[in-house]
This record gives sequence, C-alpha cells and structure tokens, in this order.
Amino acid sequence: MRASFKPTARETSERIYLLTKLLTIALCVPAAFLLGMPLHAQNTGIHIKGHITNTTGQPVSNATILVKGSRAGISSDESGNFEMVAPPNATLIISSVSFATSTIKVDGRTTINVVLTPANASLDQVIVVGYGTQRKKDVTGSVVSVSGATLQEVPTANVISSLQGRAAGVDIVSNSASPGASGQIRIRGSRSLSAEVTGNSASTNASLTAANDDALNAPLIVVDGIPYGGSINDLNPDDIANLDILKDASATAIYGSRGSGGVIIVTTKRGRPGKSVMSYNGYYGIGNRTKEYKVFNGPEYATLKTQAAAGNTINPGTNAYGLTTAEQAGLANGTSTDWQKLIYRQSHTTNQNLNLSGGTETTQFSLSAGYFQQTGIIPGQDFTRYALRATIDHRISSKLKIGLNMMNTLGYTNLGGNPVGGLVRMSPLVSPYNANGTINSLPETGSIDGSTVNPLSIKYNAAAIVNNNRRLRTFNSLYGEWEIVKYLKYRINVGLDYSQNQSGTYSGPNTFYNSSTSLAAANETVTNAEAYTYTIENLLTYDRTFSEKHHITFTGLYSIQKDHSQTSAFTGTGLPADYIQDYNLNLATSVAANTTTNPGGGNFSERGLISYMARLNYAFMSRFLLTATIRTDGSSVLSPGNQYYTYPAFAAGWNIANEKFMNSITAINTLKLRAGWGITSNQGITPYTTLGALGTNFYNFGPGTAGQNIGYLVQTLANRSLKWQSTTEQNLGLDFGLFKNRITGSIDVYSEKTNNILLAENLPASNGAGSTTVNAGKTKGHGFEIAISSINIQSASGFTWSTDVNFSVDRNQIVQLQNPTLKQDIGNQWFVGQPLTVIYDVKKIGIWQSQDAAQAATFGQVPGQIRVEDLDKNGKITAADRQILGNYQPRWTGGLTNRWAYKGFDLSVVMFARMGQKVVVPYLTTDGSAQGFDFFNNSRNNQVKINYWTPTNSTNAFPRPDASADKFIYASTLGYQDGSFVKVRSINIGYVIPSKLLTGIGITSLRVYVTAENPFIIYSPLVRSGLAVDPEGNGYGGAVTSSAGGSIPNRAITVNLNAPPVRQFNFGVNVKF
Amino acid sequence: MRANNKLSFIIATAALLTATGCKKLLQEQPRSQITPAFFSTAGGILGGIAGVYSDMRFLWGTEGFTNITLAGTDEVLAGGSASGTYWWTYNNILTSDGATTSLWNIAYQDINTLNGVLQFGAVATIDSATKRQYLAQAKFLRAFYYFYLVQTFGSVPLHTSFITNATTSDTRQPIADIYTQIIQDLTEASTQLQVKPTAPFLGKPATQAAALYLLSKVYLTRGWSSAGSPSDFATAATIASNLIANQATYGIGLNPDYATANAPGNEYGQEILFVIDREADLKYGERTTGTRASGSKENGTNFFFRPNYPSVSANYPASGGAAIMTRDIANGRPFIRIRPNTSYVLNQAFVDQADDSRYSKTFQTVWIANTAGISTPRGALTVGKDTGIWTPPYEVPAAQVAAFKGVVFTPLGTNGANAYTTVIFPSMSKYDDPNRADVNDASTRPLILFKFSEVYLLAAEAYFKAGDNTNAAAMLNVIRQRAAYRSTNTAAQNAASVAAMTILPGDVTLDFIMDERTRELFGECQRWWDLVRTQTLNERLQRFNPTEAYTHYSTSSPANAFMLRPIPQSEIDLVTSGPVFPQNPGY
Repeated sequence: MRASFKPTARETSERIYLLTKLLTIALCVPAAFLLGMPLHAQNTGIHIKGHITNTTGQPVSNATILVKGSRAGISSDESGNFEMVAPPNATLIISSVSFATSTIKVDGRTTINVVLTPANASLDQVIVVGYGTQRKKDVTGSVVSVSGATLQEVPTANVISSLQGRAAGVDIVSNSASPGASGQIRIRGSRSLSAEVTGNSASTNASLTAANDDALNAPLIVVDGIPYGGSINDLNPDDIANLDILKDASATAIYGSRGSGGVIIVTTKRGRPGKSVMSYNGYYGIGNRTKEYKVFNGPEYATLKTQAAAGNTINPGTNAYGLTTAEQAGLANGTSTDWQKLIYRQSHTTNQNLNLSGGTETTQFSLSAGYFQQTGIIPGQDFTRYALRATIDHRISSKLKIGLNMMNTLGYTNLGGNPVGGLVRMSPLVSPYNANGTINSLPETGSIDGSTVNPLSIKYNAAAIVNNNRRLRTFNSLYGEWEIVKYLKYRINVGLDYSQNQSGTYSGPNTFYNSSTSLAAANETVTNAEAYTYTIENLLTYDRTFSEKHHITFTGLYSIQKDHSQTSAFTGTGLPADYIQDYNLNLATSVAANTTTNPGGGNFSERGLISYMARLNYAFMSRFLLTATIRTDGSSVLSPGNQYYTYPAFAAGWNIANEKFMNSITAINTLKLRAGWGITSNQGITPYTTLGALGTNFYNFGPGTAGQNIGYLVQTLANRSLKWQSTTEQNLGLDFGLFKNRITGSIDVYSEKTNNILLAENLPASNGAGSTTVNAGKTKGHGFEIAISSINIQSASGFTWSTDVNFSVDRNQIVQLQNPTLKQDIGNQWFVGQPLTVIYDVKKIGIWQSQDAAQAATFGQVPGQIRVEDLDKNGKITAADRQILGNYQPRWTGGLTNRWAYKGFDLSVVMFARMGQKVVVPYLTTDGSAQGFDFFNNSRNNQVKINYWTPTNSTNAFPRPDASADKFIYASTLGYQDGSFVKVRSINIGYVIPSKLLTGIGITSLRVYVTAENPFIIYSPLVRSGLAVDPEGNGYGGAVTSSAGGSIPNRAITVNLNAPPVRQFNFGVNVKF
Repeated sequence: MRANNKLSFIIATAALLTATGCKKLLQEQPRSQITPAFFSTAGGILGGIAGVYSDMRFLWGTEGFTNITLAGTDEVLAGGSASGTYWWTYNNILTSDGATTSLWNIAYQDINTLNGVLQFGAVATIDSATKRQYLAQAKFLRAFYYFYLVQTFGSVPLHTSFITNATTSDTRQPIADIYTQIIQDLTEASTQLQVKPTAPFLGKPATQAAALYLLSKVYLTRGWSSAGSPSDFATAATIASNLIANQATYGIGLNPDYATANAPGNEYGQEILFVIDREADLKYGERTTGTRASGSKENGTNFFFRPNYPSVSANYPASGGAAIMTRDIANGRPFIRIRPNTSYVLNQAFVDQADDSRYSKTFQTVWIANTAGISTPRGALTVGKDTGIWTPPYEVPAAQVAAFKGVVFTPLGTNGANAYTTVIFPSMSKYDDPNRADVNDASTRPLILFKFSEVYLLAAEAYFKAGDNTNAAAMLNVIRQRAAYRSTNTAAQNAASVAAMTILPGDVTLDFIMDERTRELFGECQRWWDLVRTQTLNERLQRFNPTEAYTHYSTSSPANAFMLRPIPQSEIDLVTSGPVFPQNPGY
C-alpha cells in the first residue's frame, strides 16, 4: 500500500506558521544563503521504505506511522511494510495496538526497519475490562495485559503454562506431569479455605480436594465475554490475541460471586478490513527427560538389604526380603539394570496452524485450523488437539452490528499409566532379558513381589494398557449490537459452551500395571460426561463526553447463566481378549457402575445464576477517574432466602502526568495513581450442599440376589443457612512511564479480608458425621507487585534489547476458624495467624546416633531411628510436640523476560522463580499403607537413593534401614523439603528471512526459529540434593500421616514419582502469504 | 427496516429464554443423590441398615483391623512383612493409627445412621411387624458397635438420638452407662429380631440367636469390668445355656466335625451365628479383581497368614536352584503378615495333637509341588504328588529328613531340618478361599464373626466366674469331645479320643479356658479382646510372648495402660469446643 501525504487545510496553516517562525529566525542569522535548504527539503521530502516487525520478527500490520508534528499518517500493510514521503530530518512516530510507541529519526535514511516492543505496560493500549474495554490510561483497577505474541515465546500445549512467570501476581504451579497438563493458577494467592475431602480412596480424595480448592481460589476465565469452564487445553494458543488479567476487587467486582479469585479475560483473534492474509505457524519439537530418579544400583541395593537385616528391630539379623537366586547371580555377574532408561523415550511435538483472515469495512472474518500433537516420554502417553475456528463480524447498518465466534476442538488424551514409582521399585540385580535374548517376563521371581511383570510389557503388551480421553468441545459466542440513539448502545451476548467427554480404560493381565495372570482379572471402564453452559447477557452502554471535559460511561447488565453436567461411568471385569479393550462392555463377565473414578456412580449437577450489574466510569479531562460498580448475583445453590448477594466496588485514579505542574518534568511521561476497593466472592458451594445427601454403598444379605441391597449412610450434616463468603480488597497502584515511556511499569500494593468462609468443618467422628459446611472462617492477605518493562537499548542500527521483569509477594493468613475462640483446627491443618496451608508435624532434628543410645531408649527408640524435637521437654514424643514446620506459600515469585533483536535476528529468554516454599515429597516417606512409598527404607524393593544411617555412617539425613518395618516412626518428617527454584522456562532464537529473498515465491514474510523449552534449572536445593528431578509439583496427595497424628492436607501439591520434566527443542516457522 | 426486524427477533428470543429460564433457574432438584428424609420410608430403613452392615467391611477382613484384633497377643507373632509394627510390640503406638481411627469413625457414623433409622423409622408408615423387625436390626447394630467401642477404648461418648446439627464438643460417658444402653438394646433385639434369617435379611445377619450370644458376652464382659457385679456372670451363663437349650428353635447347632464351620462354602451353616457378608458379585460384594486396594472394603484374611512359600528354592538353605513352589490359588497369596507364636501354640495350646484334631484343621503344613522341573539335592519333585515344602509341628527324625525330597521346616530345625523363620511357618488356613478367579484376588467369603461353638466357651467362662465349675466343665466338654472327632478315624478311635479329651470340674481354670479358646478360635479376630476382658493380657504376654510384645508392654505407665487402645488423635484434635477430649492414660 502506498501512502499519500497530502496535508489538510489545518496542517497547511500550521506549516505556514512554522515557516514564518523559521523565516524570522533565519533573518537573524548572517548565513542567509542557507535559508532555502530546509524549505526545499520539507517541500519535496524523500521516499522512505520501511518494515515493521515485533520482537520475534513477525511483521506488524496496521501500525500507524506519523511524521512528528504533522497529523497525517499511514498504516503498514499485512507484511508490515510501508512507504512514504517525509523530510530527511523528520521524526517518525510508529504506534500499534498492544505495542509500545516507537520514535525514530529518519536521519536521511530511505530504508527504515522498526522493531516494536510489546506494550505490556504501555498506557495507550486498550484493555478489556469485562463487559467493555477501556484505554489503559483510564483504567482504575489493577489489570495486567499479556499479548499473544508474548505467550508464544513459550510454546506449550496450553496458554496457561505459557503464562507461568509472565505476569506479576499470577502464580502458576505445575501440578501434573502428563502431556498437555496446565497447572494450578492463583491470582494474588489463595483466600479461601477448602476442607479436606475425606473418605476411603486416597487418590480420589486428593483430586476432589484439589478440585474443591480450585473451585474456591482459581480465577474465572472469560473468553470473548463469555465465562469459560472446563479444560484450558481446549483453547488453541494460536487463536489467542490477548490476555487481560483483572487482579483487584475493584476490577473483578463486576463478576460478583465469581470474582474473588481474579479474572482472566481471553480475547481471540478476529479479522480486520483489508486484503485477505493467510498465515501458517508451525513447529516440531523433540524432547528428552531432564533427569532420571537416582536409585540404588545393583551392589548398593544388595548392601541395602544387608543393612536392613542388621537394622531389623523385631528379629535382628533377619530379612524377609533376601536376594533371590536370580539376584544373587546378578550380583555375582555385575548386573545393574537401569529400568528407567529402558522405558523413557524421546517425546515429539508437532504444532501446525493455518489462519486466513480479512474483510471489508462492513464484514470481517477469520478462519483457522490447528493441529497439535505431543507424545510423552512415557510410552502410551500423548495428547492431540484438532482445532477449527471461525469468526465473523458484520455491520448491518450504521447502527447495527452482529458477530459470531465458533471454536471447535477435539482433544485426545492418552494417559497410559504412570510406571515411574514401579520402575524405581524394580530390583537392579535382575536382567530384563533372559540369557537367550527373550524378555524375562517375571524378573523378580522368587521374591515376595515375584508376580511383578517386566516393565517392558508397557511396550510389548501395549494393547493391554488403555487410558484415554476424547473430548469434543464447541464454544460459541454470538453478539448483536444496536446503537439505539446516539451515545446509547444495547448489546446482547449469547454464549453456548458444550462439551462431551468419553474416557475409556483397559487394564489387561500380564502387564507392569496389572500383574494378574488371567483375563478374568482384566477390567475396562467407560465414562461419558456431558456438560453445557449457556449465558445470555443484556448490556446497555451509555458513553458520552460533556463539555469536552466530563467523560461518562455507564454500563448496565442483566444476565442469566446455567451450568449443567452429567456423567455416567461403568466398569466391566473379565474380558475375553486384550484387543477388546474398552470397546464392548457386553463382553465383560460382569458390569457395574464405576464408583472409583466417578463417586456416586452417576453424577448430575446443575446450577443457575441470575445477575444484575451497573457500572459508572467518569473521567474529568483524563486527569481524574472514577469507577463505581454494583452487582447482584442470585444463585441456585443456596437455600431460598439466602440466594441473593450484592457486590459494590469503587475505584479512583489520578493521571498526575496530565497535570500542568508535571509539564516541566520531561523524564516522566506517565504517572497515574490508582486506588480501589471492592467486595467479591466465589461460587465454592457445590449444588445440593444445603439439602444434605446420604452416602451410598452396597451389601448382600446372604448368597443370591434376594438379599442384595443398596445401603445409605449419613456422612455429612447439611447446613441450610449457607451464604456466600465475601472478600473485601483494597488496592493502591501506581503506573508510570519514564524517558519517553522507554521504562514503563506499575506497582501495586493490596490487602484483602475474606469473611464467612465456607468451611467444610470436619467434626469429631463421635458426633455422627465426618463434616458439615459452615460460614465461619476469616482470612486476610496482603501483597506487593511490581512489573517493569524497559527498552534498555534501541540503537539506530536496529539493535534492541528490552526487558520485562515482574516480582510479587503475597502473604495470607487465617484470622478466624469455625468459631472465634478456636485457635487451631489440627484435623484440617488450620492455625490462626498462619498461612492457609502449612506443614504441622513433629520436627526431625537428626538421627539417633550410637553414643546417644541411652537417651534414645528413654523415647523407646534405638540408634539409627529418626530423632525428633521433644518440644515440651516432657521426655515423651506426643501429639503436643507437633509444630509448624513450614508452608506452601512462596516468599516471593518473579519472572524475567529479556529480548534482543538485531537485523532480523531475535532472541528471547524467559526465566521465572518461586522462592521460599516447602514441598512434600511423599516417596521419601511411608506409612505402611496407601500413602508414601510402600516399604521405603525396608529393602523389600529398590527406592530413590538416600544417604541412610548405619553404625559406621553416622549421617543425620535418613534413618537406618529396617527389614521388619513397613513403616517407621516419624517417617513423615523426611518428606518436607525446600521447594525453592529459579528456572529458565524457554530460550527462543528467531531469524526473519530478508524479504528480497522471498519475492516471487508468494511468501510475504518468513521467520524461522528454534526454541529450547525447560533448558535448565538455575537453582533448586531439592534437585541438587539428588532426591528429586524437579522442584515443581506433579500432583496432589500422597503425603504421609504424621506418626504423632495429623496429616498433610490433600490440597497441597506434592512432588511425587512421576514422569520427569522434559527438555524440548522446537524448530518452527512463521509464514505469511 | 429489515435490520430492525432482525433485531426485534433477537431481543424477543433473548427475552423469552431469559424469562422462561428465570423461574426455575434458582430451584434445586438433585437427581443423583438421596436425602435423609428417605429414612422414613420402608426402603430407607432397610437401606440404612444395609448401609451399616456394608460399612463393617471397612473393618473386619482388612489388614489394619485384623492387626488390632490379633497382634500383641499370645497366639501370634509378627510375620516377616507385618504391618502396624507397634501393635505387635506396644512400642510407640500411634494415636493416629488408621485401624483404631477407622473403628472409631465408622462405629460413630453408623451409630448416627442407626439413630436416624430408629427416629425416622418410628414414624414411617409401614406394616408394624416389619417395622419392629427392621428397627430391632438397628438396635442390635447399635449395641454391637458400642460393645466394640467400650471394649477397645473404655469410656466413650454415648449418643442415642439422631444428630442433625453439627457440634464440635463431645464428652466421654462412664462405661456403666454404655453397658446399660447396650444391654437394653440387645434385650429388646433378642425378642424383636427374626428367629431365623428371613428375607430381606438372609444369610447370617442379626437374629435372636445372635443377639442372645452377644447379650451373654456383654454380661460376661461387664462382669469382669469395673462396672460389673457378680450377678452379671450368672446372667451371662443363663442366657448362654438357654440359647444352647433352645438351639433347635433358632435353627443352630454344632457340626460333628470341628473343620466344617470354617470350611469354604459353610459360612451360612448351622454353627454360624453372624457374618460380615461378602460375595463374588463386584457391585454388592464391593470388590475389585486382581489387586487388593489399600484401605478398601475387601476381605484380605486369605492373604495375611500365608508364609512366603514361593521364596523357598530347591537348594534351600543354600542359595541357587529355582523356587519349588509357584504362587497359585490353592496355596494363596503370600502376605506374611501374621505367623503363629509356635512356642505357645505348639507347647501350650495344642500340646495334645493326638486326641485333639483341631491343630491339623487350623493349619496348613504341607505344600504339594506345583512347579514342573524342580529337583532338590534329594531328588526330583513330581507335580501334584510330592510334598515340596513341609512345616510339621514337631521335630522330624534325621533319617526322615534325609529321605524327604522337598524342604522341611520344623519348630526348632533339628536333625538337619530347617527352623521356622519369620517368612516360612505353618499357615493358618481357616480363611482360605479356593474359589477365586485370580491368585491375587481378595476373598469373597463372608467373614465369620460369631460361631455357636463360642457360646459354650462363654457359658464355661461365666459358670467358672460364678463359681460353678461343674457346669463350666460340662460346657467345655461339649466342645472338646467334638474336637476329638476325625472323619478318618474309626468310631472306636474317636471314642477313645473323646474319653481322653473329657475334663473334670477340677481341671477348669482361667488358664485352661483361655487355652481352650485358642484351640477353638485360633486366629478368629478376637484374641486381643479376650485377653483384655479376662485381664490376662499382662500375664500371658509375660509367659508366652516375652520378647516381641511384653518388653514394651510392661513399660507402660500406668501399668496395663495398653489394655485400652488410644483414642484416635483426630477425635481429640477435632473436639474444638467445650472441655478437651481426654486421651487414654499411657498414650
């Protein structure tokens, strides 16, 4: 596109004024012969060709290029190119949505390449604030915006993992090791207390407890205006244009009963007027495990057994788990099998996206198709996503506009199994193969675990292992906008989100996961789940400026939302052949409802929400800003009479930089003070809670069907007077831009108080039921966040170096529990004055050493056992000796992104840190039952290599192996470790192929790049100790109950034995046609 | 205008959707769960009772609970893979132990459900005779749980009405009050329950006979306790002897052969008074196959007593050679949790094995070779014919050891035999389940809790305590004379054994009764309570289990504190208002 440069009448008059002024000056200058020169140049100008890219080298289209001092401007085309005529000494001002404005002196050049840096903190950008948008300079709440381009610097399966470490106050903790896992998101920490889900299956409880905690503390996600539930994996990261994260209550109060966890607003890409553009983004990645779990090798394992016999406290000198014949032979011939190495494989990732967009002034469209596939490093694990999306925006008349966004995703997740714990257990003294080269199918024959099938069965008997999930999701949002009269608009948003899940598992015999020998013990499960949400929002917006000074925006909302979900699951036992897998329940010997993965057997749940909201924004000359919001939500899950709750919020802003007295301070371009207050809550009551439900079980009176009965039990006590908890938050913020906005940033401090927290109060069992739900708790929190973006170097030669840094501190603590006098609730691990999730146990102070045998005996212990602190010095270790040993709240979190660009090359490095929190490592402990690592330090199985005590090795690290103990005293204390870390998340190097090389092949721009994901860990005491491969969590639960009573809450993320993290190298291209 | 027509359509649609949705939007209609008012229907009462029976599966048959019924007594020692080590040694007992906590939590949860059934059920509109029978089940079960609570923990909270409002305080009540409540419930149940199992309570659930058995035991136990009086023994004896006298009425009786009662398939036989039911059906049997999930409701008793027979190699005790035995369904899954305390079992309880048939009917001592191609240094073993492993209860002569092709383990390992170890020992076989699909499957057998034969032992103990040794001896003789019977013997041989087994009133001592209980009930999940009831725990541990258990048992302060289990730490922690919930002394 060739730009015209025709001055308007007004500009011409300005220019005449300028000429007059110059003439006046010139007259005073003796060298009058110079007079003509600037006049000549200005009149004629020079022809300039330019190319605009972002820091990753991708072209920026529709950027505005202005000559400083003039009002005329042109736009860049789809390839980021522009041409114009400008004076050789002109200064160009280049701006584009979501980029920092760049100022460049022409200096006589005719070719100008401009790299625009993302404008995370740029005050000119438009921010989506929920039910509308605002210029960043008018925003009064604490909002952070992250562009899609920024997120793509960390190419992952889902947008949330790309967000890790990128926004101040947004804490994302990894909680799974499977391909496509997202993580636990908390904005400004947790506010609410979620009680433990108790019951009989530890793993189910942990996941339920974690889900409850998420329901209470996770942010609300809104996609194109419609609240989004369900898996974030269903969003194709390539479709995302921008994320806006609303953090404080004055900003989130417009979402009322769902606002307390913060709101993440996702805006997807849409078409723009202009020539149609087709683009292709794709990469291919190869990944390898960063590390393996360090286990005892063959001779060390044999020594462990010997030492465990010596340390046997019941029958000294004996070991029920002596070496088998094969192991003795293995020890003699030097066998030391590394089972992990045999199983882990390379992972492969493919990501392909094709997008076509364009449109006319009245109709714009975009179409995109995406394909993502990732295989895990564990055989059988992979994730595939097909995404198809279309948007259309159409202006029917000057007053009417409609639009539709349809996103369809089909996701296939294969989870296989998690063999890691089992691999760690395998004896290194046996060979996976027989002498003749065949598979040694039962390598541990002769030992008590002799029925363990060779782990290689994961590969050679893969047909017997199925654990898959298929999800079809269609997310549709439709809007219509009508300008009723001037300034007054009506808008309707209709959202329909529908998903269907089908999962199947099959566990056949003779595999590492199922050591049964008969198909009678094979089992399959089939689960079907349907969920839909519909939302209808009616919005009225009145937007008008009075007397050029008073800008008023009023927004009114009436909306309804309904969520529905239902699940059915069945399990079949006894299959005729492995290849039937989960395809035909009818071939199973018996079929029953599956209550393991689907408590209750069949689940049905619906909730409704009716909302009214009004918001008033007032700005006085862009100097003083005021926002007032009120929202009322009515919810079906509360008892009649308590259903409606109102959420007010106020915020004010002062653009100090716009005041006259600031004019002289040129270093400060932007300075805005913000203050906000608001009330929000969360929807953490599951439907039907106020009705009370009976637990269900089954029993047979005698043989045959006549006596078969369903049983019912009272397990919880209902509370009909439940209401929402509420969070009151204050926020004080300062946005600044220094040195022509080369340094921009914001600082926020906040404090919040949460009242009437819904506590599933665990009751003394003698009162007849495990728990009830009450509105009782109080918590408070405060924090500090700072985010700074700076362009450190922007040289005339085109070299830029920019940095984004964010740092946040969040502290929360419990203020009140179920009643005001209660200072601690040990059953739930809640303590007034302490963070929401703490570790409360006896404190390990070492190992009893030989010289202290007499003292150890007074505690009923012997040297080599764990020595704990006798807090009350009464000579006995009792429950009273438990103390708070740490918590899961990081001391601080931070992220650092550096970007360099030079002549088509770009480089970015993303780092993040979480420091000062504890983690629980269950596999370093045991309770002799479901939790921890069964037979840890007992020598029955191999285990992670530890430095254990023996009479000749007086360590204080780990106790003496004991072959008699399936659990040992104070074992739980071994699992508490320092979880601090600093990691490099990704390194991204790209190069834009010069456009002259592309002419004639139909490509307008081409960038190639290489990304290293998870390249290395800079700091982690846990990984350095050799006891873990990654300091980040990978699941919930599994922690061991303390020997002195009490347990680690299930809501705590734990670092368990699971697939090690993957270091991945991606090779990719961004192409525009 | 066309556009306005479209708009009107949009608005009309939206308004319609909004208006129709609105009314119902805030009303709740659960569809996948049941609410407590259900207890006031016939199905609800039955469901509440079935729910409580089902809950018992969390206790009887599970590993942790089996530990607290047997560990730390004279009868058994810790197997090589024993769990809950502190129950075996009394050293550093966990107040947060899962088994004691389960007993506490499940008992009180069930008691509240039963209180709900009794309260709601009283006003249910169903046939009064049916209702009377159903509610009698609830009374029996409430008494049943309180009886186990009071024996295990001593003074405990007593709730007899349905709790619907949550409270966080609770107090322990005197054991006298708890016994009074138990006796009241059982007395009513013993006349209101079904006489024989009838639908819907088939199999061996609570009947009048089971209630009478339990009532007799409750009186007996109270008699021994601080809340008891001498008349309790007489009452216990009367109830027990009446039950024996009227056995035909109740459809119960002794089998001629001791082995019959515990044999697989006889769980609903005439000698059985009460079982925790189970079945192969996955849904109503609440089980899975192939594995045994920890903390589940599955009956693992078929595993716990099994030695590690597949670990014995052909060259034993020298290394080398293949394993003689492969694990199979008949020989069971080797869990190695519990082994007999052979110095007591062989030298005290079962010292007379010539006339008393019960040792051989309690233990498996022979392991028939089941693996092809195995040769020991003494010869090749023929599958299905030769004995691969032999654990006789006596020392085998040297010549016989030398001629035996398999591997032999004896109590002392003399004459060239190997001594029993912590992993190879005689295996208690009462809970064996040959009818499983997979070797790793848990048992689908109902777990036998009360047997009619024990009524004679209760009666004997009650008569003895009441000073009536004549009747005590008469009761014991019924059991002993039955124990003399071997189906393989001739009538004359059996008659001779009966004569040899018969005792005189002067032979009856408490010690004798306790040994007799071992002979009759070895491993049947009640020994610890028997020793506690009769206050013989201290003395018998000192005599028969001096190393593993008595060493630490004797250090408790106050003495014999370990005759009560610790109150679960969670109960103490969760009583957060009112007086602090006290722990039992010594913990």
